[in-house]
Amino acid sequence: MKLIITDIEDFNITINGKYKIIKPQEKINHCIGCFGCWVKTPGQCVIRDGFEKTGIKMSRCSELILVSQCFYGSVSPFVKMVQDRAISYIHPDFVMRKGEMHHKRRYKNVIALSAFFYGEKITDMEKNTAKNIIQANADNYDGFVKNVCFYPSIKELEEITL
Amino acid sequence: MKIALIDGSPKINNSASSILLEELKYFFAQGKVELIEMGLHTLVVSEEIVKQLKRADIWIFALPLYVDGIPSHLLSCFIQIENRINDICKKYTKNVYSIVNCGFYEGEQTEPALHILENWCCKAQLNWCGGVGVGGGGSLSMLPKMPNGQGPKAPIDKMLKHFVEKIIKQEIQKNQYVSVGMPRFMYQLCAQIGWRQLIRKNGGKIKDLGRKF
Repeated sequence: MKLIITDIEDFNITINGKYKIIKPQEKINHCIGCFGCWVKTPGQCVIRDGFEKTGIKMSRCSELILVSQCFYGSVSPFVKMVQDRAISYIHPDFVMRKGEMHHKRRYKNVIALSAFFYGEKITDMEKNTAKNIIQANADNYDGFVKNVCFYPSIKELEEITL
Repeated sequence: MKIALIDGSPKINNSASSILLEELKYFFAQGKVELIEMGLHTLVVSEEIVKQLKRADIWIFALPLYVDGIPSHLLSCFIQIENRINDICKKYTKNVYSIVNCGFYEGEQTEPALHILENWCCKAQLNWCGGVGVGGGGSLSMLPKMPNGQGPKAPIDKMLKHFVEKIIKQEIQKNQYVSVGMPRFMYQLCAQIGWRQLIRKNGGKIKDLGRKF
């Protein structure tokens, strides 16, 4: 199953196979850094606004696809809010991976992570930052990067198939 | 010289960011500067914050690493500030520094977040002057109070002292990284003990830490 997290409300991109999509339909709250998703309600965010089960949805996917406007090399605030609220996908304990400290797995699925960024005038520096962040995300999920691409607008993105 | 100390953590109290800003204040106290303290804890940049940002010559952001980037609420604030930058200041008249802390041991893991700040400065026509990445940030609020320069915070204090000297001279600092002063295995062990204590305190069982759905 593909899990798509996007900031595009009116999402018109073709998707092959089974998928779930998280997009800005409901109001989302930002992560408050309480770690409740690890020590109060392990595996789920404590904020009950419809986005608390994203970590569980991630455990059911083989591909995680971020489709987002690029801001300074980061995904957009909405996509980042969803990601920040989904750290329950991983376990709070640390392990060593590639010589660095990362979080232990909670689930067994291996995520292939892709990011499709759009936006006018994305600089080379921003592209580099974005690629590094997606790689770091994949390392922390103990998955791998499948694809990172940049498009000047949503219109160009609509010509691809996910 | 007016310096804004901006707490970018979503936590209002006792965050690693606020502790690091307190350390900075200690070192600034030895120089002739006016410190303006403010917090960006929510999604909205208030008029009061805009007013304070206008007053300051230098902006120092302290923030935690969230999912390899900056917290979503702060990203939203940065977009708002960029959109209003012409009301706030003239092009390239504000110097921006940052301290990013992370729960991982290696301060180097904050590098992408520092790059986001640099890219934001480019877009908003601010002077990016560099930052410090602090590893082991999760332990800062747990450590007992000790005199500055002593105990596990000593390497961080040393780095921040040097950082403040650079800021006062308005010099550019190449991004630098530091870890809390304890061996990595010990930090890892302390973190594991900490999570187990917290889940028990919340009425849960240790095995619940690994709960699957």
